[in-house]
Amino acid sequence: MSASLPLAVSLPLLGALATTLAPRRARTLGLIAALASSAVVAWLVVAVWTQGALRVDLGGWSAPLGIGLEAGGANTLLLAMTALVALAISVHAGDYFRDRIQLGHFWPLWLLLWAALNALLLAADLFNIYVGLELLGLAGAALAALGGSRAALSASLRYLLVGLLGSMTYLLGVALIYTAYGQLDLGLLATQLTAGAAEATALALLTLGLAFKAALFPLHFWLPPTHANAPAPVSAALSALVGKVAAWLILLLWLGPFATVTAPAGATLLGLLGACGVVWGSWRALRAERLKLLAAHSTVAQIGYLFIFVPLLQGLAPGSERTTLIGALLLMALTHGFAKAAFFLAAGQVQQHAGHDRISDLGGTAQRLPATTFTLGLAGVALIGLPPSGSFIGKWLLLEAAIAQGQWWWIAPLLAGTLLAAAYVFRVLARAFNLEPTPQRFVNQGRAELPGLVLAVIAVVGLGLAAGGLWGLLEAVEVER
Amino acid sequence: MNGRLRLLIALLAAVLGAALLWVFLPLLATRPESALAKAALAARPLTGVGNPVTAVLLDYRAYDTLLELAVLLAALLGIWSLGPPTPAYQRAGAALRAMIAWVVPLLVLAGGYLLWAGGQVPGGAFQGGALLGAAGVVLRLGGDPHAGLPAEPWQRLLASLGVGAFVIVGLVLLGLGRDFLDYPSAWAKWLILVIESAATLAIGATLAAAYVGGRPPGGTR
Repeated sequence: MSASLPLAVSLPLLGALATTLAPRRARTLGLIAALASSAVVAWLVVAVWTQGALRVDLGGWSAPLGIGLEAGGANTLLLAMTALVALAISVHAGDYFRDRIQLGHFWPLWLLLWAALNALLLAADLFNIYVGLELLGLAGAALAALGGSRAALSASLRYLLVGLLGSMTYLLGVALIYTAYGQLDLGLLATQLTAGAAEATALALLTLGLAFKAALFPLHFWLPPTHANAPAPVSAALSALVGKVAAWLILLLWLGPFATVTAPAGATLLGLLGACGVVWGSWRALRAERLKLLAAHSTVAQIGYLFIFVPLLQGLAPGSERTTLIGALLLMALTHGFAKAAFFLAAGQVQQHAGHDRISDLGGTAQRLPATTFTLGLAGVALIGLPPSGSFIGKWLLLEAAIAQGQWWWIAPLLAGTLLAAAYVFRVLARAFNLEPTPQRFVNQGRAELPGLVLAVIAVVGLGLAAGGLWGLLEAVEVER
Repeated sequence: MNGRLRLLIALLAAVLGAALLWVFLPLLATRPESALAKAALAARPLTGVGNPVTAVLLDYRAYDTLLELAVLLAALLGIWSLGPPTPAYQRAGAALRAMIAWVVPLLVLAGGYLLWAGGQVPGGAFQGGALLGAAGVVLRLGGDPHAGLPAEPWQRLLASLGVGAFVIVGLVLLGLGRDFLDYPSAWAKWLILVIESAATLAIGATLAAAYVGGRPPGGTR
């Protein structure tokens, strides 16, 4: 059972090696690796569901000396979302990249990125997270450059440099903690960390470094050009998974080992930046002229929501209230993961068919690509947070908690963000549906269109109706580390 | 960037640096007796290597090193995806050629020595690999367009060796019912040597190929 943890990292790595060695067979080998990696994650989810949280000590060396991997309730859910989204992207990419040379470049880097995502989600060691971030940043920047245009190259170079700045800032924080405590394991640090100047500085550096990667306002400046110019499957992975993992790591540090170091003021600052991100990102999405740029700005907003949870969660004693709120946070993160990946895959399909993705010229898309337009609509429903999508429940619970804790001011960005999201989604749909005749066929290109559609259905219907199961897993497994 | 902005950035960096020093210096004074270093030295006999740095890199925290090698691979794949390399330098003059003929074998020999010595004294895969990479750089500066590297399929194999050896050893041990990368004490020394040798070749080839800076010729394109 515990073998599934290292396997979740090593199978994508093995796939990356296979596709590196045989670039001509990259598509077949890559799909096999993607299926195997998803199967291992499914095994891991079942194991956590039946046995509770898992931990392995790699190399047989226990905590202070060795490195551990942990699968609790929350990160197992994120792993499952990553596997589903990554599988859909893998299927879609086989059709998106027509060029065999492009496919040969895409597959190994993509599987390395997947390995980094799984490694970061399972990580239980401060320095190991740094190594994972390096792999994530490098593979992500290389993938973003596959777009090949001058804009894509300059955007991904900026992404690489910002990522390096983020990793270095993070590493400074790790150095401070290691000097003070001589430990790196998150579980051990949780029992030892006390409030102090060094600890607070370290937390600030760790958070700042990760905030670069998560594109928390105002450190989001690199995100829109990178995500808008990358190939669509890559944008889907960067938006739905990469930023999400960095945001998750911030929340993990704040709610886990550093809980005793955090102060309400710091949490409020994070919440405030998140709220600014929600409003600013949504506003820029409304003003965007291209579909992929709209999706990229909307990601800044959706990441922002996750940080509004921080001031409400900080200092909350473990109990049902906290579990409910963490569940709501995860529901928001999962819904956005599925919905944004679906949106980007659909946007890429529109772009490939029409040769552009200008929103003002989307007329007739509903006739030419009904399934893709339906995907855009469903993903839009989840981005706005209309019922029965998972983000509706998430936002509702966030609203409830804000009122219950007397921090009602968080309602304002929530409402503004939702209103703006409705505006930018309907702006796209109004263009896409503006011609009369009924389309001939619903699905035109199954392999390219269906993965996105499945993700959008999961975001809207699956997560909304199956939200109970999510809390089942969270309550079965201790969320606290 | 104008002068005033540059001054502002320098000032901000100085303030940040001073703040970090102010936090960091008291830590050095009160830092606890390093229990971790003691534990690392105490457990060294179980790893089969005498050099504590090698024990940390290839045994206690082998998983970190595995991911670091994956970072190198990702960097090289990223460089290859960007297109063909810049043209090579012109062929070196007689004096430089004679020196290269001396220096390259010495670098390879020194790299092999550092790999072997890494088990007991300072040295190891990263140092040895860096010397091999330097040999490639010298060859390329002397006019060899491939920096001494073989054809593309072999370059792909060499670059994958480090991660490959690590993952395969880890998975085989997992299949035998042990933890991932949990070497049996009797084999630890030899497994570490195998992984280190593979990693040395991979690091050397990756650094040299990265210096060439583009897709190797004679591949799919």
